[in-house]
Amino acid sequence: MGTAGPAAPARPAARPPGRAGRRGRVPIAPYLFLAPGVLLLVLFLLVPVGYAVHLSLRGLRVSGGGPFGRREEVFVGLENYAAALTSADFLGGFGRLAVYGLIAVPLTLGLALLFALLLDATTTTAKRFSRTAIFVPYAVPGVIASLLWGFLYLPTTSPVSHVTEALGLGAVPFLSGAPLFGSVANIAVWGGVGFNMIIIYTSLRSIPAEVQEAARLDGASELQIALRVKVPLVAPALVLTGLFALIGTLQVYGEPTTLAPMTTSITQTWVPLMTIYRDAFTRDDLPLASAASVLLAVGTLAVSVVLLRVAQRRAFGSES
Amino acid sequence: MQVRALATVTAAALALSLGACSSDGSGDGASAADGPITLEYWAWGTAQDGMVEAWNRTHPDVQVRKTDAGGSTDSSAKLLTATRAENAPDVAVVQYDTLPAMIVGGVAADIGEHVADAEEQFNPGVWSQVEFDGAVYGVPQDVGPQALVYNQARFTELGLPVPTTWAEFAAVAEQVEQKDPAATLTTFAPAEFGGFAAMAQQNGAQWWTVDGDAWTVSIDDEPSRRVAQYWEDLVDRGVIDAQPLLTPEWNARLAAGEVLSWPSALWANGVVNGVVPEQAGQWALAPIPQWEAGRSAVSFQGGSAVVVTTSSEHPEEAAEFAEWINTSKEGSAAQIEAGQYPASLVGQELTLSSAPPVQSPQQADYWQVAQRIASDTVPEVSWGPNVNVASSAFQDAFNAAATRGTSFTDALAAVQEAVVADMEKSGFTVSAG
Repeated sequence: MGTAGPAAPARPAARPPGRAGRRGRVPIAPYLFLAPGVLLLVLFLLVPVGYAVHLSLRGLRVSGGGPFGRREEVFVGLENYAAALTSADFLGGFGRLAVYGLIAVPLTLGLALLFALLLDATTTTAKRFSRTAIFVPYAVPGVIASLLWGFLYLPTTSPVSHVTEALGLGAVPFLSGAPLFGSVANIAVWGGVGFNMIIIYTSLRSIPAEVQEAARLDGASELQIALRVKVPLVAPALVLTGLFALIGTLQVYGEPTTLAPMTTSITQTWVPLMTIYRDAFTRDDLPLASAASVLLAVGTLAVSVVLLRVAQRRAFGSES
Repeated sequence: MQVRALATVTAAALALSLGACSSDGSGDGASAADGPITLEYWAWGTAQDGMVEAWNRTHPDVQVRKTDAGGSTDSSAKLLTATRAENAPDVAVVQYDTLPAMIVGGVAADIGEHVADAEEQFNPGVWSQVEFDGAVYGVPQDVGPQALVYNQARFTELGLPVPTTWAEFAAVAEQVEQKDPAATLTTFAPAEFGGFAAMAQQNGAQWWTVDGDAWTVSIDDEPSRRVAQYWEDLVDRGVIDAQPLLTPEWNARLAAGEVLSWPSALWANGVVNGVVPEQAGQWALAPIPQWEAGRSAVSFQGGSAVVVTTSSEHPEEAAEFAEWINTSKEGSAAQIEAGQYPASLVGQELTLSSAPPVQSPQQADYWQVAQRIASDTVPEVSWGPNVNVASSAFQDAFNAAATRGTSFTDALAAVQEAVVADMEKSGFTVSAG
């Protein structure tokens, strides 16, 4: 607004008092522009977070006495936080999450990078088709994908087990023991590769042609160009997708919840979010669930910030 | 109705949408003092629409609007939250085992003064499910006396007797294994809290009892441990698979004629019909096997009551509605037509002149068998204020035991511990039995 000066000729000089008046007023335009954003932030982020923190300090306790006394909300201090931090169910979920993440995150990013590089390579044909084919699973809702894969995992309905049983090897135990982690991670990888590939691919397309041409003139092979030129140049995109994948891992909920009724191996506390859901809605302990949610959110934020710092230093050298 | 069953496969879909529960306020559809009032009614199952329609037709001044807020677990979770948010419906269906939780949660109101003459319309055992400490918190709607539904065609084909005791049941299970290795007499679903509780109660267990101001919890009592040992033995020997119910896997086996029976309750026939309608005419109903030969003890698995909420602005009309749909001939007829077994004596009487349900047209004495089963129900079964905790602890403990092959009795002890700990935390006076 302050640079409105040069535009003055557009308005005839007949209104000097108006200009003088405007200068004296408090500019409200910036606040108007900010208002929707701030309002949404306050209404849908700060207020709910504040309420969750408030709830996490409360507890439902029987007040009236007697076997059918009513439960009422009272202040219990940090009791819920202590309970969440010592809960074997809640903490055990993070252990399972780590195993899941170790499978899902590298596979998702590795495959996404591989596919992006392949699509970007000059020799690849049918690019448009391949790109769409790899991206389509991302458009399938997570619950549908889980049900779909569930059918492929269950012994009676699985075509894989059908073949192995015909060979006399018995059904593949997709939904129990160690394979369970792979089976759950597979659903996330299947759905996530396409999205991450598009991000990396877009970044690859923005690499100037001269850079690659120079490498080619120097006698670099396609593979060398990919590994030595392209990968370092798309490092920021890799950091971004890595961060998404990490946050996505901490928020795993839909896949195991959908698969849970199909197997005895997925408990109601398989991952932290499932524990939070159970406490809030199955056990009617919203305060405990709020405390666990606050812990999970703070943890996610901390991990993200640390990861971003470390990765940025690596990816952009001395820049930061 | 056991709606958990129907919800199994779509559990996650429901779960995801559950958080965003909403309903417009209770009874605020009512306009001024004159004019008809509108009651909000939360209910699930196929029988509700017919009952509500019958009421609305005959009661122009009090109209009822039904909302399906999900099955028992979802619906009761929403009732607790809605009550705290002061926008609960006027009337709601609540399963008997969650009713105490609804009372201590401040959801269900005492409607004793409005339904004074309702008690005589029910068997004492059924009425005891809604009366606590002299206060009446609901009107019974349907009951789920335990029963055995079995694939009669396959039983005849393999020459199997219908077992009348659990010992016979185990023997028949072994026969099935020999005669048709692909088939199984039944599956043991480790997550089915209600089914296990019913078997334990049938054997004489009393999981929650009130003595003065104190609760006694005895989930791992002797009768319950015997039930746990019974199934653990069958699963250990590989005679019966520990497998969740109503999964695509289970349904496929049922359709292939590989699951021959399902010890559960009267409503199970309708559930089987939902999965394998093409097997109509093959399935039949029989009394549940007994723990002691010669006894005829039947417990309840499922079944529900209609409660009036504390947030209702029209408790009197709401109570009248709850009583009418569950004790009038019109209401009962709508229930029976949908295959739900009524809780009231009027309704049970009415079944005797009804045709057998679609899944068992060949069994002419279907409703007679059902009535005999219903008349054998264990008189008093009491539930505690945190059945939800017991159910969720049970699910995890038994799933873990089935997966790892560890002891079911230890799992039962873990459930007992979780339930007592939760009650102590809530501030109840409690002792372990």
